[in-house]
Amino acid sequence: MIKAGQIEKGTALLIKGQPFLCIEREFVNPGKGSAFVRLKLKSPATGQTLSETMKSQDNAEDITIEDRTFQYLYNDGENFAFMNVENYEQIEVPMKSFEGYEYIMKDGETYRLTLWEDQVLDIQVPSKVVYVVTETEDAARGDTVQGVTKDAVLETGLKIRVPGFIKQGEKVRVNTETREYLERVND
Amino acid sequence: MIDFKAQRARSELYKNIRSFFLDRDYLEVFTPTLSPSLIPEPTIKTFSTLFKNEFVGEKEFYLIPSPEIFMKEMIASGSGSIFQISTCFRNSEQLGDVHNPEFSMLEYYTMDFTDKDSIELTHEMIKETAISNPSWLKNEPLIITMEEAMKEFAGVDLLKAQEYEYLRSEAERLNLYVPDSESWEDTFNRIFLTYVETSLPKDREVYLCDYPSQIECLAKDYPDRPYKKRWEMYIKGIEIANCYDEERDKDKILSYYKREQDILEKERKATGEAISKADFSFASLDMPQCSGGAIGLDRLLLTEYGGDEIAPILSFPMCSMLKTE
Repeated sequence: MIKAGQIEKGTALLIKGQPFLCIEREFVNPGKGSAFVRLKLKSPATGQTLSETMKSQDNAEDITIEDRTFQYLYNDGENFAFMNVENYEQIEVPMKSFEGYEYIMKDGETYRLTLWEDQVLDIQVPSKVVYVVTETEDAARGDTVQGVTKDAVLETGLKIRVPGFIKQGEKVRVNTETREYLERVND
Repeated sequence: MIDFKAQRARSELYKNIRSFFLDRDYLEVFTPTLSPSLIPEPTIKTFSTLFKNEFVGEKEFYLIPSPEIFMKEMIASGSGSIFQISTCFRNSEQLGDVHNPEFSMLEYYTMDFTDKDSIELTHEMIKETAISNPSWLKNEPLIITMEEAMKEFAGVDLLKAQEYEYLRSEAERLNLYVPDSESWEDTFNRIFLTYVETSLPKDREVYLCDYPSQIECLAKDYPDRPYKKRWEMYIKGIEIANCYDEERDKDKILSYYKREQDILEKERKATGEAISKADFSFASLDMPQCSGGAIGLDRLLLTEYGGDEIAPILSFPMCSMLKTE
């Protein structure tokens, strides 16, 4: 337990049984009133944000979260399998908690996972990642002009639109949040 | 890096404010910064220091959190309308953003005015003394009552909320945490600070009027509504000013002070903090009808000069003085 007045940006709290991270904190003293802290909290698991105002003297349940490096092994359609690179222990993470991550994580790649006890709160996938284009049709002659896009499938199975000039086997950089093509990468 | 442009802006703002009040026949007054006693205000932490003299011995003094007590003594002694720009001190303040433990305050009292009269005066003063032409100044001020604001931004009926159980259930409906036993004021503040204060328009001056009577202060009560004749003014979401129709009833003033002193002593005893010497003498003064306003000048300057925090316009903000130690 900590006093609400001690909460800082980055403090992890348990609110109604759910872990949240403090992303903004502001002290407020209403005229003639006691001291309050206005908090903006974010659930690392669901991305949900929450506004909370607490008296500085209110108790808050703080929790310890930690980041660890894991290797992504595979998914079986229900769970992602990860291996802790320090002790080789394997863990399973329900795919429904991280929808669509199978399309942005690469087998064998390492990721930082945010954990609270045994629960994985976050899988930190870099915001820009390079993928190999495994399927795309060659552009028809004359369709390589700027602005013309076509479908492509990446090594993870992710389907995106790429410019006409991208060829199968080439590498592209992708924004993993919007899942949009950013640029061609030449080795 | 000292921002001399900000220094010049402050100097110009102060000059304009002085002219504004002097042109309207207010007397500029000068009152002490060190005081041997304070008005009991449990929510304000103060700085104390020792006066040492071989004849008097040692005596505790306090850096004033506001010049109110001295200015009210002047008013009761027949000063007429007065104003003062002074440095005030509040301990345990947050550092940075819009807080600094040492800050600049404009306090002004107008004879025969009510708090509503002071809205017009304050808006006129801000408009006439502005050192720039910020976009919020181009819009007409919003004057809104707390009852209206609670309804609009939190969906709470403040009249019904006089009943604590209703207020509490509304806080819970709004997903706010409320401990098992809590004062009306604290539960109200949870709603107000989370949903109302953050939703006030940021593109104009906002005068938020008629605060709940449960939040005790030395503003007069409405005879027919559970509210006080008090407003707070916000610019760009920052609390800039507060103003009362000043209470004149000596019994009410004295009993208010005694209640506040009791709370202060109870709280400070629990935390082991020192208890400042209280002064109730003001309660025996003959206060004329007047309205008193106080404006945080560092914040007002910030809204006119531009920027998100006061540190750059302070030259020597406490947060940077602490870092260089």
